[in-house]
Amino acid sequence: MIRSIKTTIFNSSCYKKAAEKAYKAQQRIFNALPDKCFKNTKFNDSFEKIGKEISSAENRLILGITALMSQPFIDGRNKNVDEKTRKVSVARTVAKIIAGTATGYLIRKGCIKAVKNWSKIPEPGTKIKKIEKFFTPRDVKSSDTDAYKQYHNAMGTITALIAMMITNFVIDAPLTKFLTNRFIGAQGGKNETSK
Amino acid sequence: MKPLSNLMKNIGKFYGDFKVNLYKNYGENPGKMLVHTGTLGWILSSLAQVTALVFNDKISSEQKSFLIPQEIADAGINILSFYLITNSFKNLASKMVSTGKLTTKSIQSYLQKNGLCSNGRVGKLDFNIEKLDDFKTGIKEKYQPFKESVDVVASTIGSVISCNLVTPVLRNIYASDRQKNAIAKMEIKEKSQIVHPRGITLNEYQKNAAFKLARNSTSLKI
Repeated sequence: MIRSIKTTIFNSSCYKKAAEKAYKAQQRIFNALPDKCFKNTKFNDSFEKIGKEISSAENRLILGITALMSQPFIDGRNKNVDEKTRKVSVARTVAKIIAGTATGYLIRKGCIKAVKNWSKIPEPGTKIKKIEKFFTPRDVKSSDTDAYKQYHNAMGTITALIAMMITNFVIDAPLTKFLTNRFIGAQGGKNETSK
Repeated sequence: MKPLSNLMKNIGKFYGDFKVNLYKNYGENPGKMLVHTGTLGWILSSLAQVTALVFNDKISSEQKSFLIPQEIADAGINILSFYLITNSFKNLASKMVSTGKLTTKSIQSYLQKNGLCSNGRVGKLDFNIEKLDDFKTGIKEKYQPFKESVDVVASTIGSVISCNLVTPVLRNIYASDRQKNAIAKMEIKEKSQIVHPRGITLNEYQKNAAFKLARNSTSLKI
């Protein structure tokens, strides 16, 4: 029933016209983007290296550093709230970024390393410990490929996210709370927060 | 014992399949992995931040009335904007590479050799280098690392824009609206709990209380 309705709609001239117009509009927008060919071999090599090296850990670090350069200023210029709230908001934002970036980066990095150590592929005729192949997917022949490196990053990141379900409460949140109170104290004494 | 061993067997099978899927899906698509795991990461981290704020006794209830909505707005907007903006950046960059708009010298030579630059197919939305007949033997080795790098860099730029520019502005607008509502509700509650003292009429007391409230409140109280 639904399939026949879909077929009727998709075959209708009205739908075909609309789809064609939408495609043309998309193509016009796409055409507006500049064509670019990277001809410098050195640049290409470095670019590809960056692509290979940026795992979720580095991504989190870049996100944290750029967040420190933008978010506190946005919160500090928020005219919708009074000065006292603004100060608390800035302190909390900075604390959150520092705590989140530090724990996020370290845990991701650690988990990716652990996954790398525990996803070995045994050489034919050799035996390795069970833990060393805990993360090894079946039917993978070589560990010396980019795809396998990206698998380490993916599995490491997922493991890190599971670990962070605990560390978010045990490390991240208390650290944010501690740093927020410290920053608020530094801004104008304890009275600012403890009413 | 049998149900338990069956359960363990199923878990083992699920975990084995999960690893294979992860390898197949993300092994050649690190940009997609960054978007997906980033979104999941924001969900978990937001949950922890809201919990920490609720239990922070050093922040007054008035400040919490601003900060908790700010945090919830932050979470919602963060997760949505992260996914939408980062994914759009990644997809657009990916499309630019697969249609031949963004190339390297070797990819361009390959396209020229196949006569694809001259016939105007390059740059068309329905053109995809990866679907060419000799893609695997002809250019995959040089194309794939370039595309992966573009994906990763685009995802990173997208995540910086979404999390550090779009989110803070949007969440502040949302949270200040929520704060105004919260304060209005608190004032109404305060007013309804007033008990008039003996010696004056209820009408007189309510007038005095209203005057006191009006005198103490600024345009935006937190």
